[in-house]
Amino acid sequence: MIRRFGTNQAAALCVALVAAAAFAATYGFDPVPEGLPGLGAVEFPRLICLVMAGMAVLLFLQESAPHDPEVAPPIRGDAIAIFAACLLAVPLMAVIGMLGTIAVFLVVVGRLWGEVRWPMLLAVSLSMTAIIWLVFVKIFRLTLPTGMVFGG
Amino acid sequence: MEAFLGGLAILVDPYVMLMVLLGTVLGIFVGALPGISGSTTIALMLPMTIAMGPVPAICFLGAIYCAANFGGSITAIMVNAPGDPSASATALEGFKMAEKGQAGLALGMSAISSAIGGIVSVVVLIFAAPLLARAAYSFGPPEYFALALFGLSMCAAVGGDSALKNLIAAALGLLIATVGMDLTTGVERYAFGVMELSDGIGFVPVLIGLFAVGEMLDQATRRLGKPAIIALDAARVPGWAEMRKCWRSIWLGSGIGTFIGALPALGATTAALIGYNETRRWSKHKHEFGHGSIEGVAGPEAANNAAVGGSMVPTLALGIPGSATTAIILAGLIVQGVRPGPHLFNEQPTLLYAVFASMLAANIFYLVMGLTMAKFFARISLIPPAFLWPSVFALSLIGAYGPNQSMGDVWVMMVAGFVGLLFRRAGFSPAPLIMGLVLGGMVEETLKQSLIIFGDDLTGFLARPIAMTLIVVTLAGLLWPVLARLVRMRRAAA
Repeated sequence: MIRRFGTNQAAALCVALVAAAAFAATYGFDPVPEGLPGLGAVEFPRLICLVMAGMAVLLFLQESAPHDPEVAPPIRGDAIAIFAACLLAVPLMAVIGMLGTIAVFLVVVGRLWGEVRWPMLLAVSLSMTAIIWLVFVKIFRLTLPTGMVFGG
Repeated sequence: MEAFLGGLAILVDPYVMLMVLLGTVLGIFVGALPGISGSTTIALMLPMTIAMGPVPAICFLGAIYCAANFGGSITAIMVNAPGDPSASATALEGFKMAEKGQAGLALGMSAISSAIGGIVSVVVLIFAAPLLARAAYSFGPPEYFALALFGLSMCAAVGGDSALKNLIAAALGLLIATVGMDLTTGVERYAFGVMELSDGIGFVPVLIGLFAVGEMLDQATRRLGKPAIIALDAARVPGWAEMRKCWRSIWLGSGIGTFIGALPALGATTAALIGYNETRRWSKHKHEFGHGSIEGVAGPEAANNAAVGGSMVPTLALGIPGSATTAIILAGLIVQGVRPGPHLFNEQPTLLYAVFASMLAANIFYLVMGLTMAKFFARISLIPPAFLWPSVFALSLIGAYGPNQSMGDVWVMMVAGFVGLLFRRAGFSPAPLIMGLVLGGMVEETLKQSLIIFGDDLTGFLARPIAMTLIVVTLAGLLWPVLARLVRMRRAAA
């Protein structure tokens, strides 16, 4: 019997939830055309969901190790700000393009990460953006999103 | 023989050799950076290789794989921070040697034993892979299904907190592999009307998200300070007496590493840890272990580099990844339109021998670089994280977007990145998920084909001795720890 609700129990509940949702979603698949031999489209995903659910039960019953700050350090405000910057970077690409986003991201996140020397931040940001432009746009001929501002 | 010579001919192709050299430098560079492993780098570089063509691309990725393991030992020895997980065993004795003022000797021994381990395993690869491929010619869908299942079961031993968590991650990978159009029935699964999901979830954005972005987000919660570097004049080539003392550890590590690497899913980290333990067990100088034993550097370093060649054996001969990193290389081959397996040895033998030759070249390159430029590579670990990790994210954005030029892939990468963060915090390893994702298609396809062959009767597997043996070994491997625990509990209660 488990003595306390810990990481294993939380993870097990998440896994069970994913398995249940994925299992339920199989009922929304289109029907398989008649006359096809062998397994259909739903059996294999359902089998995996059942296996996952079974393993989630076993994980729930496993005692969780005491909280180890080495494995999961507390998430401070600046880490949350970095997560948010990562998430915001994707929609920002639609506005100022990928290269513009990368340049801004390197300065903002570098600062959040604890670098206080603005000239250094700007120099790294500009040189990294220039290298990316040279390698990917000029050498590999990749078309990067330009955004509304630079794309017109 | 013609194919073998054709493969060796790439050693005089300046473009391929440049790629091998670049891969080696990059491999040592990232290997020396704590937090960025060879697998992360290969995932990041995958989109870049699309424009290269199969031979240079695979040679480039193979060189990174070979060199990253060695690069990891530099920071393990100099700052007690293994640049690559496979170098964690090296840090145990290497850093102690550095504290005693023998950093140069430790680095020299690391370079030499790594190169010997790597070369031995490539030689084994040259002979073993075609033999395994020939044996696999008689394999049908039931055998491949059993083999893929065996590979997945081996995920139980890959990193993470527990075998159960690894198996859950592998199952999640299998589930993700079912997203998109089912090729046998034409039915869309888990696409929810989103066009980008109809073709399935691409390997590249998931790999980059789980490894690179996940690691970056995890590092954001840690924000470790700068490591202190130990003074070093230069790497020193070990003398005759030191080589004589270590030869047994090097051969033992090479053998263990090649064998462990050849087992599906198990890679360099497991090989290095077992290599370290066995080196200590068979050493005549056990008392030196824990105080800076040179044998304790030679054994695991030979083992983790030998695992590289070993893990390429099942990857190339059977299409079953020998490790998390080869799972990514396998994805790279698939992106290039090359499907590894026994037929590859008949259809594209030159490509295979080119891979073998380039791996040999990479081992020699990093030996030379390790001995001459270790001091420079050790300084890499001093790059401030405030510049390093945002740059990794910038490269991840390009890497995820590049192959299909799709913003959908960038979002997939972001989701995979946060899943990677949660995985790390909950003690799950992302490697089994990748194994599940890569093997997912094969598992489902071969199961369906087997059932058609057997007329929907699962007992048909009983008539296939190879498949049955593999299934029994898989079940025994999964159930053995549970049974052993029950027996122990019963004995304790009695």
